[in-house]
Amino acid sequence: MNTLDITVAKSNGNFNLKASFACEGSGVTAIFGRSGAGKTTLINIIAGLIRPDSGSVMVNGHILFDSQKGVNLPPEKRRMGYVFQEGRLFPHLSMKANLLYGMKLLPKPERVISFDQVVELLGISHLLSRRPATLSGGEKQRVAIGRALLSSPSLLLMDEPLASLDASRKSEVLPFLARLPRELSIPIIYVTHSVDEVLNLADNMVLMDSGRVIAIDTIETVTTRSEFQSLTGRGGGGSVISTAVLSHDKKKKSTHLRFPGGILKVPFVDIPIDSPLRVRIAPRDVAIALELPIKTSYQNILEGRIEKIEQDNWGFMMIHLDIGCPLLARITPAACSDLSLTEGKDVFALVKSVSVSIGKRLILNELKK
Amino acid sequence: MDLLHLTPLEIESLRLSLWVSTWAVLGSLVPGIFIAWVLARVRFPGRALLDGIVHLPLVLPPVVTGYFLLVLMGRHGMIGGWLYDVTGFSFAFSWRGAALAAGVMAFPLFVRAVRLSLESMDRGLEEAAHTLGAGRTRVFFTITLPLSFPGILTGTILAFARSLGEFGATISFVSNIPGETRTLPLALYTLIQQPGGEVGAFRLCIIAVVVALFALMISDFLARRRIFLMHGEK
Amino acid sequence: MNLLLQIYRPLLRLRAFLFLVTFAALIPFPGFGSAEGREKILIFSAGSTINAITEVGDLFNKQGNEKCVISCAASSTLAKQIAQGALADIYISANPKWMDYLSEKDLIEPETRFDLLGNRLVLIEPISNDSRIEITPGLDLAGLLGKERMAMGDPDHVPAGIYGKQALMALGMWDDIKDRVAPMKDVRAALVMVEREETPFGIVYSTDARISKKVRIVDVFPETSHPPIIYPVAILAEKESPATKRLILFLQSPEARAVFLKHGFTVK
Repeated sequence: MNTLDITVAKSNGNFNLKASFACEGSGVTAIFGRSGAGKTTLINIIAGLIRPDSGSVMVNGHILFDSQKGVNLPPEKRRMGYVFQEGRLFPHLSMKANLLYGMKLLPKPERVISFDQVVELLGISHLLSRRPATLSGGEKQRVAIGRALLSSPSLLLMDEPLASLDASRKSEVLPFLARLPRELSIPIIYVTHSVDEVLNLADNMVLMDSGRVIAIDTIETVTTRSEFQSLTGRGGGGSVISTAVLSHDKKKKSTHLRFPGGILKVPFVDIPIDSPLRVRIAPRDVAIALELPIKTSYQNILEGRIEKIEQDNWGFMMIHLDIGCPLLARITPAACSDLSLTEGKDVFALVKSVSVSIGKRLILNELKK
Repeated sequence: MDLLHLTPLEIESLRLSLWVSTWAVLGSLVPGIFIAWVLARVRFPGRALLDGIVHLPLVLPPVVTGYFLLVLMGRHGMIGGWLYDVTGFSFAFSWRGAALAAGVMAFPLFVRAVRLSLESMDRGLEEAAHTLGAGRTRVFFTITLPLSFPGILTGTILAFARSLGEFGATISFVSNIPGETRTLPLALYTLIQQPGGEVGAFRLCIIAVVVALFALMISDFLARRRIFLMHGEK
Repeated sequence: MNLLLQIYRPLLRLRAFLFLVTFAALIPFPGFGSAEGREKILIFSAGSTINAITEVGDLFNKQGNEKCVISCAASSTLAKQIAQGALADIYISANPKWMDYLSEKDLIEPETRFDLLGNRLVLIEPISNDSRIEITPGLDLAGLLGKERMAMGDPDHVPAGIYGKQALMALGMWDDIKDRVAPMKDVRAALVMVEREETPFGIVYSTDARISKKVRIVDVFPETSHPPIIYPVAILAEKESPATKRLILFLQSPEARAVFLKHGFTVK
């Protein structure tokens, strides 16, 4: 049974949405696309705030909307938490009353999320008696998240929750968001147009453009797709690899990460053994060799096969590699023809250990901006 | 002439005015908020017609409105007659009729204020409440109503002030009975009509002005307090 | 306060617009402003005379005279308006008191004053009822009313009401009945109340009772129970002119008298 099954169409003047996809399991599914791609409309359809022209929406096997069967559950019956971009805290209630608003409407047996747990998770215990007008943006968003969680939803929807925050406020909230999927097993659907948020938080990604779903897959896969690359531009993007900490080498001051294709060596990071860690490798930082090179500074020499070669919008060659997981390399057409690279060829991918961006550092990069 | 001592006539008409206006406003609250909500939130054919009917007392001459009230709600009126036969309750020639007349004349002002407040409210907050599991009724009572309180307060004050000054419909519907329907404006009118009654009429004028100012001051204070609670320093 | 402005601004604009339109429409209308050499006579006349006076005015005009513009309201209201400077030419009151009021203020031409009409006071009831009552001093009118009310012009200031109160006092019924009175703004309003059966009885002029098909006269108040109901007429101060003098004469002519009698007045 899928967490979410959705096939809908909605027309609204100039705007035309047609989407069809399914999500499995828990974890975070990001809906990513430019402004105006239809992301918010889609999430509002899931929540029941917008009625599609036709189609169906099912969550955990329950039919929420079906135009043919004439079913349209109102939002209050859908058991979904929704965190809005503007928070939408009730100005006439205290923070505590805001948090408890949804919880109070549930019969006791259905309250699976505890108040104390959420307050602790989001670090908002000192805000409980305050009113929304006196809080900062970041504090408001954390309370908004808590309020949605406390309604014990079967699915958590988030519409660009960090978009209206400045950089320092974002860094305030992001760590809490990152903890959510680990501490509570509620599947999250996260709408955003920020690459960093996707890479930091998402397990799966739904790629949208102009009202259409272009791709849906794990984040490691979708980030290597050319559509994603073109949406994120030259600087952004890159391959995302999910790893786990294998061991630390105190003498060499490096850390070994285990991933589906073997071992990645990176400069030392103080993270416990067996912790999951998401890393990002920019395509420009991946070199290709036909033979095993010796005496180089490349700490990571990974065996792989060329799956696809294509040219990007700026004239460079994008090499799609499979090293046990997808990896993108960007080289000049000259280099490509010098090595006579073709699809299906076995090659070595060379990655400097410093080129591997660690998940945490992505957050820090946000601060510096 | 003792400035601070009121004559029995003055006390009686003042007391009656306050009593009648209070009931007029109380009676308008629930139907007024309901109709304002319907006009602000619900799309249905005939909405413009309902809006027009609500505003009729503002546009028609008050005496005509009083006549309509007589036809509808008098003891032999279309509704009033049935009401009397079934419950023995009647508006005719009593302060209840005066309250009804005042309430009807003030109703459009009340509905307008509440409707304005509802329309300028952030609907997103109602949506958020829905996503948290609240149905339409609960959202109305826990979110919509508290947030539109300033508008309701303004409407109440407007309606009260309008009721205090109501004359034409009252005198046509329930006549000018001392102690029962002779409110301040009717008492004023009676004095003006008599030679030598100007002094008494002037005194009543002053009383009316004082009451109105007092009501406005209270409403201003209440509104400020509420806004302060909701928004912090504003 | 903001909300108040928001509500009233569009309404004020609408009202201002309506005033402007009305004002503009009235400007070219002849007859407004000082009336010297104009072809109109403005008559302020007591409410109960409206039908009769209108007919008489039409007759006057048809005979080649000036046009009569008639404004009818309660005698008290008209007298007050005249005292405030209303531009009427002739005043007909339902009660000598109000003519005296104007006379004391030197607002009439005293030699032009005379008593034009008379009227009778009657007790009426809805046409569907059929009471056989005679108005005598022993009549227990209050008992007949019970918990109901009696409609009459406001005894404090409406002439018909003043006469009614005097009659009831003379007959010894006032004390019992004074708390059951429904004081109406004018005598026509009292008539409407009885027509609609809101009150079982009413006191009006006989001329009013004749107009309505929904009421019947129970009995006539004895002339001795109240001062004679006299309608004095006078030309107002500085309005004496050939036109107004002609109208005053016409009011006493046989044709005019016939009209008055037809409507139920008595003529002096």
